[in-house]
Amino acid sequence: MDIGAAGLYVCLFVALYFEVFLLVSFFEKKPALKTSLPPKRYPTVAMVVPCFNEEKTVGTTIESLLALEYPKEKLQIVVVDDGSKDGTRAIAESYAARYPQVTYFYKENGGKYTALNFAIAHTTTELVGCLDADSFAAKDALVEAVKEFEREGVMAITPAMKVYRPRKMLELMQAVEYTFGIFYKKMFDNLSAINVLPGPFSMYKREVFEKIGVFRHAHNTEDMEIAFRMHANGLKIVNAHTAFVYTTVPQTVRSLLKQRTRWSQGFLQNARDYKYMFFNPRFGNFGMLVLPFGLMAFCAGLYTAGYALYRVLAALAVRAIDLFSTGVPLQVPTAAHLSWYYLDTNTLSFIILAVLVMTLVAIYLGSRISETKLSPKSFIAYFAFFGLIAPIWLARAAWGAVLARESAWR
Amino acid sequence: MTWQKYILTFAITAAIFGTAFYIASRLDAQRIADIRSTQDAISIDILSSETQFELLGNLDCSTISQNPVLSEELNTLAGKLSVAEQNLGSTNNEVVQLKQQYSLFEIKDYLLMQQISSKCRGFKPVYVLFFYSNAGDCQDCNRAGDVLTYLRQTYPGLRVYSFDYHLDLSALRTLEALRNVAGNKLPAFVINNRPAAYGFRNLADMQKLIPELKTLATSTATTSAGI
Repeated sequence: MDIGAAGLYVCLFVALYFEVFLLVSFFEKKPALKTSLPPKRYPTVAMVVPCFNEEKTVGTTIESLLALEYPKEKLQIVVVDDGSKDGTRAIAESYAARYPQVTYFYKENGGKYTALNFAIAHTTTELVGCLDADSFAAKDALVEAVKEFEREGVMAITPAMKVYRPRKMLELMQAVEYTFGIFYKKMFDNLSAINVLPGPFSMYKREVFEKIGVFRHAHNTEDMEIAFRMHANGLKIVNAHTAFVYTTVPQTVRSLLKQRTRWSQGFLQNARDYKYMFFNPRFGNFGMLVLPFGLMAFCAGLYTAGYALYRVLAALAVRAIDLFSTGVPLQVPTAAHLSWYYLDTNTLSFIILAVLVMTLVAIYLGSRISETKLSPKSFIAYFAFFGLIAPIWLARAAWGAVLARESAWR
Repeated sequence: MTWQKYILTFAITAAIFGTAFYIASRLDAQRIADIRSTQDAISIDILSSETQFELLGNLDCSTISQNPVLSEELNTLAGKLSVAEQNLGSTNNEVVQLKQQYSLFEIKDYLLMQQISSKCRGFKPVYVLFFYSNAGDCQDCNRAGDVLTYLRQTYPGLRVYSFDYHLDLSALRTLEALRNVAGNKLPAFVINNRPAAYGFRNLADMQKLIPELKTLATSTATTSAGI
């Protein structure tokens, strides 16, 4: 076995270990089903909508918050305009004029984290939530989230994020990816190791900010850094898997790469800032599993993609040179080669198959948890494109992290 | 945090790896069994042809020439051996043994063809003894094999006998000595008992090297065989 293939075995072992760990966690503690029970009490909530040039979606986002099944006197909707230059201001102001629940603030552009901190400073509610202006909450999402805060010691919750009306191939691919994400987010909850509090509908008890401070720039991934900081300070984050939130996802490869590069680079840079948590049992599964495996998954993804690319290009080059130098015309495989005998059945093939099966099981469980139906087209999009696109943002993120170049928020 | 879960997960992951290795080994064993079964069939074919030849002598050359000695199984076997060699490695004992047996079949078939062609005037086979090496000392051998495979597919009447020059087989050593094939200039081609030609040739040049191809009928090939 050559060194390249040995490295691939190591990467696959890491991937399989991680997937098995999550599945073991699932069978240890299966997610509870959604109930119609109301919360024991309704705490006051401020839902913050930070926005920057979001005229296309901000109206629908505010509408979805207005439609939340929650006592109106307990829910405040705070739109913080981070210096938009488009029609965001006019739309948000019109809602503020019509609905007393809605408050609109305009401030100089300073980045998403400054918009969130602005809202925290201008509100006094028990809970503070965030809903990005490109996302929409289900009507019962807030009630479901509030019920999770009744669990002992819970300081923040993440929702179950789904893709809003996926139609294009890239959206369908992300729909599968988000469903997979719902599974592993819930399993991270089982392990008390949730690693990010995403912009769409994450919620915090106000005392979180009093104890550990407000959001930081954090390499444009303030939602990840605050999760790291909460773990560092022993504050509990859980996943409200019955609180559904729908988010619009990038529709072009370019915008997807930009978004994912920001996320991945943010992970690398935050991981560097919190490196003392790696393999530190004091931080539980977050320090022992999620952080190290996150970094290993990053490296494994890059390595596997690089190795596969090298092998494919080398094989194509050899084939092309052979065809050119021999003068033998290109031939399609004959029926004789369709026999099982000619299938590549080495150990590596079966391990890759095992990883794929585990991934499919995780996606299935994610779809069950979130009551999501995925079409066969979604799976085709996922398996056809994800492996091609993901390595690009991983490479860009690694490059950006090495150069310590900040990625763009928008 | 429970250490037991980390250990349990490790055990399960290792078990999956072990299972993958076991399944792959079983399938490799199945492949070897498949090759053995094909070789058994070829062994019977060759014995049958030899017996047929001895029974008929040169009295009925038409019957002999209409039943090619080099059976389709021998072509298929070459392809299968090539796959087994790629999967298990050229130094694997089973592979070496199977290649030795395959080479013996080829030599027997080649000798039988020689006998038939000397006794049956109308039977003029075109054959190539192709000597290659996959020990890393012959960069052009694979490409030469591709050219011959294509020619064999295009001209079903062309008989190609491929031999791994370095295979440890005394009969092969004798054949190499008889045909004066040098191992330091591979690939080597012995065409219809002419002196060995050395070095890679593309399709056009190989066709020039075998002018007898013009006497053979062409067809759309359906089988392929590696070296």
